[in-house]
Amino acid sequence: MDLDRFNRLLLESAGVGLALADPETLAIAFANPRFSEWFPGCDEAERRLDELLTGLNVERMRARLTDGKAYRTDLELKVNRRSVTLAVDVKRHEADDTDLLVVECQNITKLRELEYMVESYSKMVERQNRDLRKEKDRVEKLLLNIMPRSVYEEWKEFGVTAPQRFDQAGVLMLDFVSSTEMDIASDPPALVAELNDVFTSFDRIVEQFGGERLKTIGDAYMAVCGVPEPGGDDARNVARIALRMVRYLQRRNAAQATQWVCRIGINAGPVVGSIIGVQKYVYDIFGPGVGLAARMEALSGPMEITLAEDLYELIRDDVIVVERGEVEIKGFGSKRVYTLEGMSDLDDRQLMR
Amino acid sequence: MARSILERYGGFPFLSRVVMSFYDRALDSDVLAPFFEDVDMRRLIDHQTKFVAFLMGGPASYTNDHLGHVHAHLKIDRESFDVMVGTMQETLEDFDMDEADVVTVVHELRSRAPWIINVPGPEAAVAS
Repeated sequence: MDLDRFNRLLLESAGVGLALADPETLAIAFANPRFSEWFPGCDEAERRLDELLTGLNVERMRARLTDGKAYRTDLELKVNRRSVTLAVDVKRHEADDTDLLVVECQNITKLRELEYMVESYSKMVERQNRDLRKEKDRVEKLLLNIMPRSVYEEWKEFGVTAPQRFDQAGVLMLDFVSSTEMDIASDPPALVAELNDVFTSFDRIVEQFGGERLKTIGDAYMAVCGVPEPGGDDARNVARIALRMVRYLQRRNAAQATQWVCRIGINAGPVVGSIIGVQKYVYDIFGPGVGLAARMEALSGPMEITLAEDLYELIRDDVIVVERGEVEIKGFGSKRVYTLEGMSDLDDRQLMR
Repeated sequence: MARSILERYGGFPFLSRVVMSFYDRALDSDVLAPFFEDVDMRRLIDHQTKFVAFLMGGPASYTNDHLGHVHAHLKIDRESFDVMVGTMQETLEDFDMDEADVVTVVHELRSRAPWIINVPGPEAAVAS
């Protein structure tokens, strides 16, 4: 096969569309079969490049070519119902006595389709990730309602949490003296709304002193200080929380029809904190520190805060108490018991009066 | 959690080959090609990627309302729908998908017929 025939065959069967055009008039001088297939009518006399390749930016093309550079652009066209994307490359060829534009078109439809697909798919995945993150945040929020953050972090990382012992956790137990007498039948939603309101205010007080609401059982409320992170001032803080809760209720009762009368027991002592349960789990604390706080609550009268000598000895310099003498406490023997009246902090001195 | 069909076949690389091949076959079909003629390629590919991913249990969610909406401007009868389902089935088979998985995907696709077909076909005419 001679070289001319070979070249012609190559030109005719190539997948690339090739054309030659006049640099000035842009008239097409030659087009291979592929180019004709994409741009029918290109072999008609005096057809210009910019007529056939609509979308060609002639001005820019001339500017690039004048600079001695190639001009590149993508063109979209329809070929037999199909959308085809072509990468068009125009170069100026000056040699000997020829001065021509060489136009090369490559079919990059598949590439473009794949690009669109990647774009579409990555958007889907991004969206899914966003949804998952939102869901994760929601779950995390729920879990943080039933366990302290540090315990949650441990649980998230290791899948389990080890029970932890705290030598001197501040524990507060509160319940309402009169709520059982309230007429819950008359307006349950209103009662729930009020209880919600009261507990939410308690939460804020507890948080203010670095404590955590551990749980509520019906109208009973339990908070801890120093669990799971000992705070250094947990014994005093549990007393401060108790005093502020009582003050809050006194103020609320003065302004509202429903009277909320609480009794509170506080204590500082050894407890164990752990997540309990497998399917239905909750972070809870146990131990004598908790038991004694519960006994103190039972000893409280309306709007009274009771503590035993265990806590009193820790904070005696800072509290104003009324001593109530020795009391036999089930499970704990005989202990001196006090009513908390205030604290020597300026802010708390007049609290109970 | 059980892995989705899409995950089992390798995720995006598999999906892209299926969508591309299905698209080619659809354009070669005298019945299906006219539906794609005046559609913006970018939108079409976006739709097909999401929908096929969805059929294979992928990351997209595709509501029936949305499906109805994107096909509303086309006049699709039962016959064209069946050709489309057949084309999809062929495509999946040619990618050596397990028969059971093909059945699952095709069934999922068929179940969407009420939201894709919007021209009453001969069956409907007989029924009425």
